[in-house]
Amino acid sequence: MTSFIIRRLLQLPLVLFAVVVVTFALIWLIPGNPMLQEGRQPPQEIVDAMNRQYQLDSPVRFFGGYLARVTGAGWVMGWNDAPFDLGPSMRNPDWTVNEIIGAGFPISATIGLGAIAIALVIGTIAGLVGGLRPGSWLDAGTQLIALIGISVPSFVTGSFLIVLFAAKFRVFPIAGWGTPAHAFLPMLTLSLPFAAYIARLLRFGLVEQMTTDHLRTARAKGLSRRQAAWRHALKNAFLPVLSFLGPATAVAMTGSFVVEKVFAVPGLGRHFVDAVLGKDITLVMGVVLVYAVLLIVLNLVVDVLYAWIDPRINLTSEGSR
Amino acid sequence: MRWIIASFTIIVIIVLASALMTIERSRLPAEIKFASSDVFTLDPQRMSYMQDLRISRSLFDGLCSHDSQTGLPTPGVASSWETSPDGKTWTFHLRPDARWTNGDPVTSVDFRNAWRRLLLPDTAADYSELLFPVQGARQFFAWRTNALTQYAAGKNHDAESANALWQLTLSTFDQLVGIRTPDPQTLVVELESPVPYWLDLCAFQTLAPIHQASLDKFTKIDPASGLLKSDPGWTKPGVLITNGPMKLVDWKYKRVMRLESNELYVGPNTPLATSVEVIPIEDANTAVLAYESGSIDWISDLTAEFRADLAESSRKWLDRHREEYELRIGAGASEDEALAALPAPDPALGERRDVHVLSAFGTDFWSFNCRALLSNGKVNPFADARVRRAFTLAVDKVRLTTSVTRLNEKVATTLVPRGSIDGYVSPAGLPFDISRAREEMAKAGWIDRTGDGIVENADGEPFPIVDMLYMTGNPRVKNIAIALASMWRDALGVNCELRGKDGKFAKEDLRRGNFMIARGGWYGDYADPTTFLDLAKTGNGNNDRAFSNARFDAMLEQAALELDPAKRFEILENAERLLVEEELPILPLCQYVTLYMYDPAKMRGIIRSPRLDQRLSLLRRVNEQSESSSP
Repeated sequence: MTSFIIRRLLQLPLVLFAVVVVTFALIWLIPGNPMLQEGRQPPQEIVDAMNRQYQLDSPVRFFGGYLARVTGAGWVMGWNDAPFDLGPSMRNPDWTVNEIIGAGFPISATIGLGAIAIALVIGTIAGLVGGLRPGSWLDAGTQLIALIGISVPSFVTGSFLIVLFAAKFRVFPIAGWGTPAHAFLPMLTLSLPFAAYIARLLRFGLVEQMTTDHLRTARAKGLSRRQAAWRHALKNAFLPVLSFLGPATAVAMTGSFVVEKVFAVPGLGRHFVDAVLGKDITLVMGVVLVYAVLLIVLNLVVDVLYAWIDPRINLTSEGSR
Repeated sequence: MRWIIASFTIIVIIVLASALMTIERSRLPAEIKFASSDVFTLDPQRMSYMQDLRISRSLFDGLCSHDSQTGLPTPGVASSWETSPDGKTWTFHLRPDARWTNGDPVTSVDFRNAWRRLLLPDTAADYSELLFPVQGARQFFAWRTNALTQYAAGKNHDAESANALWQLTLSTFDQLVGIRTPDPQTLVVELESPVPYWLDLCAFQTLAPIHQASLDKFTKIDPASGLLKSDPGWTKPGVLITNGPMKLVDWKYKRVMRLESNELYVGPNTPLATSVEVIPIEDANTAVLAYESGSIDWISDLTAEFRADLAESSRKWLDRHREEYELRIGAGASEDEALAALPAPDPALGERRDVHVLSAFGTDFWSFNCRALLSNGKVNPFADARVRRAFTLAVDKVRLTTSVTRLNEKVATTLVPRGSIDGYVSPAGLPFDISRAREEMAKAGWIDRTGDGIVENADGEPFPIVDMLYMTGNPRVKNIAIALASMWRDALGVNCELRGKDGKFAKEDLRRGNFMIARGGWYGDYADPTTFLDLAKTGNGNNDRAFSNARFDAMLEQAALELDPAKRFEILENAERLLVEEELPILPLCQYVTLYMYDPAKMRGIIRSPRLDQRLSLLRRVNEQSESSSP
């Protein structure tokens, strides 16, 4: 197991390098200049000066300088003051990318983790209700709600929750960030699609498990339906949920643009979309790097957890997933 | 099951911990909170966005300021000034009692330093060109650019040679550029040629002074390129040193910014607000909900799709009390005082009093591509001024503003907003006249020869499908495009095709000339017709239409040399007449409006003059009860 983890971690820099190269190529090809407003074009000499100051005049120099700064090579050589410097934001000259990610990520991560926690509670309960009584009206009801949860976009649920709980009943603040009360509605909005997905995965997992031979044996030995489900089926039925949770947590933590926009939450998702629209090259690459690290690490965690729950899975052999 | 519970507990702990970490320390709620677009920078020399300039106006005092009623230049840090008879030399006398927030006096050197910074290509400032009228300024910009190129090509790239280049730059600036500081209270500026709107430029925020010593701590010279590099840290609260009526006490990225009154401030813009918070709310509907719930006092740009309905509700209420309102205005009350004193709106009638549609210093227009050939090599029918005139004459602008945008904007027939510049008389422009439009089309050879409702030329080829380019993301623009297409089809017998593109891609198409007609628009920077008319100058970077007319260019040059302001305005008026009555590179639709949402019974201090240059320091909360009970 240890060698597996080490091997995966060693792959990390290679994957990150590939991600950075592809991201850079894509964002560089978008037309336009991040330094300029959309409606206004200063004289050419001023545009040239801006391009020179931010090395926008040469992709090779830009990318070379960027790699040296980000990897810490420039710091080792004494060119830069600090290692792992993601550079200045091009659209927001008063902020570095490190500062922006440092400000936005904890907020997105809070909402994301909270949403996953809420989703786990709601999803597990709904999945159990349906899975233990397949075909009942309770099952049909939870499945219907889950279907709605998956299909209704967050800007609809978000706006609905604001109007209901913030504007009408005034239980929660409408928008912004600062108190735990600000976090609840965004968390709930973000959790609903995840909860619905978890409910469906768990419900179908349970139904499938209940018909397996070892469950039938357990029932034959005198366990009640509920006992059998709880002791033997649930663990296996949870495996698909677990593999879903890895990427889902990564997605939730990196911030949902829609939820953050609707609730005016200054999270990373919003900063990322603003950066792409404004062609803020350094900010886009910085956020993509954070996303990539998070996704890789969380997938690794899930793989390890998998092996722990299901000893039949052997991580050291090829094609282990 | 244990592991589920265990991992769940861990998640909950992390959530609580991080929530605790990001919680705001409690402090007094701000007197005024307002929703704004995202702020980009507080560095005055690098600003270009309206929301940044608005905040800067309360943080930094420039040489001059603007009168809140008339919009004309008034004293700022400079208490008086004189100009030489040829209009080229300006001598400003600075207030001796002006102070930075750290107690240092504000001197003429602070202005020279800031202006030098604006003229350094290293600053990457959008608005460097505002100082190009100064003697030697453009030359200095070019000299430094060239020196940096040579430095990069040279062999020595160590700290010593980079520093030597910087010292040379400083002395070159002093030699070349006509900015002198004979003593700390005197600033002398020499211009290349007289600039009638020079004082207006001195009130523009990118010309605000900076506290060089605090900036220097964050600046270094990059040995590899010779460029001056600033660390973004210098505009942060606690670090930024300013000289305006308010000071920065908090700024969290895209979350909140807080300004409080500056107790050291001495000057003409004495603050009335004790504290103002700027809250960026990107979603237009959320902003309205936040306003309705009382968490913000002012929406500085109401863009919600239902804003026309909101404006209608306010108009309905005002119409019911129009007589009393006029009486109060006649008795000397300000608009907001008069509005606050009227009987409260009746929600049952769908009335409200907090939506304000204010004319801005900008023109909403569409651009005609004036190139002879389109980017695909085909002949461009709009290269013919007769066709451009026909398309302009065929637009019913009143219908556009009353039933498409539904905001009743002032209809425009000129590029410079009519009546916005003191002393400038706008030409008439072209009216809405369908029969004249058809005549112009016929003169250009486009007549419906086959009777199918579509016009053809002498060879029988139908008018090419009109390629209309617009920027997506704004329903107003799309609605106008649809309406224009149908007006042209009905009036002129041409088919149009709408092509919506995202901003950056649309800009690229504009640059390459890949359009026939495209959505445009322009906000003026200073109080002079040239801030608009320059758009039509040959080779201007914002001349997306590639319009080029020797007569027009000559008139602008002639105006630049004319010393008599009245004669100069006359020349400019004739130049604009050529644009809006004969050549029509642009089709003016209406004057832009900005929609504000605030309750005049709760908040005061909004400036309604056409520039809408709001000063946060003038905002203040008023007590609703005491206001409504007053006679």
